[in-house]
Amino acid sequence: MQLSERKDNDVTVLEVVGRVDSVTAPDLGAKLTSILAAPPRRVLVDFARLEYISSAGFRVLFLASKQAGETGGRLALCGLSAKALELFSIAGFLKLFTIAPSRAEGVASLR
Amino acid sequence: MSTVETSILNKIRDLSRIPDLVAQFAEEQGLSDDVVFGINVALDEMLSNIIKYGYTDDAIHEIHLRLTVAGPLLVVEIEDDGQPFDPCAAAPVDVDAPLEERKVGGLGIHIVRALCAEVGYARVDGRNRLVMKMLLNPETKKGSHAIE
Repeated sequence: MQLSERKDNDVTVLEVVGRVDSVTAPDLGAKLTSILAAPPRRVLVDFARLEYISSAGFRVLFLASKQAGETGGRLALCGLSAKALELFSIAGFLKLFTIAPSRAEGVASLR
Repeated sequence: MSTVETSILNKIRDLSRIPDLVAQFAEEQGLSDDVVFGINVALDEMLSNIIKYGYTDDAIHEIHLRLTVAGPLLVVEIEDDGQPFDPCAAAPVDVDAPLEERKVGGLGIHIVRALCAEVGYARVDGRNRLVMKMLLNPETKKGSHAIE
């Protein structure tokens, strides 16, 4: 898994490339924690180049979402494939997250 | 060959070898990206469970896995010498609970059950044997999880 981040106004766009699983999820979690630790605490996770995500990935997204909720931060997701959305649905996570179809709409939802 | 086998050690880092093995097998067998996604997720869930919770000692253990294409099914078999653990008997997860009440434990097994047509478990000669069967053409699966 590779992470790359860039700023779009007040929003940090974090692009995830590759696999989010037991091996890599801790790195994603640490990155989200650090972005959400400092104002303006707005992060859009772009999964357009995601290979797959397992429950280890859901766990760090869940914790990041809680962190955001407790600190006045905001988290949104975009770029999810149909298969990835199926996993979010199975996990019951569709309604827990703001999920945008595109990066532009994701950024707009956080501004 | 319609089968591939390997062994990994009970270390989370060793899981990083699995996706490349799956990718190579998928290419040989012409498996779809969606099936590859499912295999990788199912293997990560069950293997990480075994590695994290299966052993009470600090010794090195080997976990064996095998992938087989059998007719309309992809069969994933995992065998380990850890503590007895039947994922089929695990309590269900309430995935409809609101965020503040959600617990993330047990989610992996919940996902595996949803991805698989069948999950079977047996304890044989002091070893756990898990068999997960996935449909190679999931659109034929009844009650699949459509996006709302």
